[in-house]
Amino acid sequence: MNPVSCDTAMSGLEIVKEIVDSEKEAGNLLVQAEAKALEIRKQVDDIILIEHEEKVSAAKKEAASTLQMAETRGKSEALQYEKESEVRIKELIQNASAKKNSAVKALYDIILR
Amino acid sequence: MSQMSETSRFTDHILATARGKSQAIIAKAEDERQRLLEEARRNIDREAAEITRNAEADAEGVKRREISEVRHRVKLREEMEKDKVLTDVLDETKKKVHEIVNDKNRYSSYLLRLVLDSIRQLGMQSVRVHLNAEDLKNIDTTALVREVTNTVKTPIKVEVAKNPLATSGGVVVSSSDDKIRIVNTFEQRFEALEPKLLIEAGRLLFGDHT
Repeated sequence: MNPVSCDTAMSGLEIVKEIVDSEKEAGNLLVQAEAKALEIRKQVDDIILIEHEEKVSAAKKEAASTLQMAETRGKSEALQYEKESEVRIKELIQNASAKKNSAVKALYDIILR
Repeated sequence: MSQMSETSRFTDHILATARGKSQAIIAKAEDERQRLLEEARRNIDREAAEITRNAEADAEGVKRREISEVRHRVKLREEMEKDKVLTDVLDETKKKVHEIVNDKNRYSSYLLRLVLDSIRQLGMQSVRVHLNAEDLKNIDTTALVREVTNTVKTPIKVEVAKNPLATSGGVVVSSSDDKIRIVNTFEQRFEALEPKLLIEAGRLLFGDHT
């Protein structure tokens, strides 16, 4: 046997082993990368869910408060309007009552005309 | 030595390629995550903005409803109060008109006017005058007929019906066969004139407010 070719054969086995190992490591790296990518994609759904919940519930809370405020403001404006109207109606009726006698006379004249 | 380094270069290349692919896979996932997040955030913002917009529209509606309800209530109240005054004035007027029967001279001339108006409307040469029991008793019907025939220019036959009318005052003038009647009783005049009286009373009492 040629010692040189034996050495060469041994080196060849080592070389193949080294290549196979590095291929395995490369495969592992890819598998890990795929797993991380999957994890990243899964995180997106969770983040979206959380942000959706936060923003939508904040908007709903604000909406409820807007409605409540509008109702309060509406009631207050309505009350103010009612008070002013009371005064106006009272004056209107007082003025009308003062003219009752002359109105009766005018209607009487129309009937007997 | 040279063979070893060549093998090392080869395996390094394999690993470097794998690392590069790994980084690319992760970078792609991160890019995709960023894109999905941005898109989702835009949708979430739109959804939140729509909730806010709807709430603002609802709030405007709620406020408008509160004010509209009270306006309606106030309007009803005002109409009711005005109606009370108008009814009062109408009742007072009716009472005053009924009192005319106590003033014999005034009532007689009023009846004469009513009879003449009715005859003009009938346009007939022979008429019958109907009065209530009180007037049949208190009014000088002969004088009434005489005044009517004297006032009317054309020859006319006027008779007074014996059966009393069920009315508080005024007259009914009919053709001699009673088929055509002109009703000028107080009740009929009130009924016929009521819309006009209400408008006039509204104008006098409430001016522009009615």
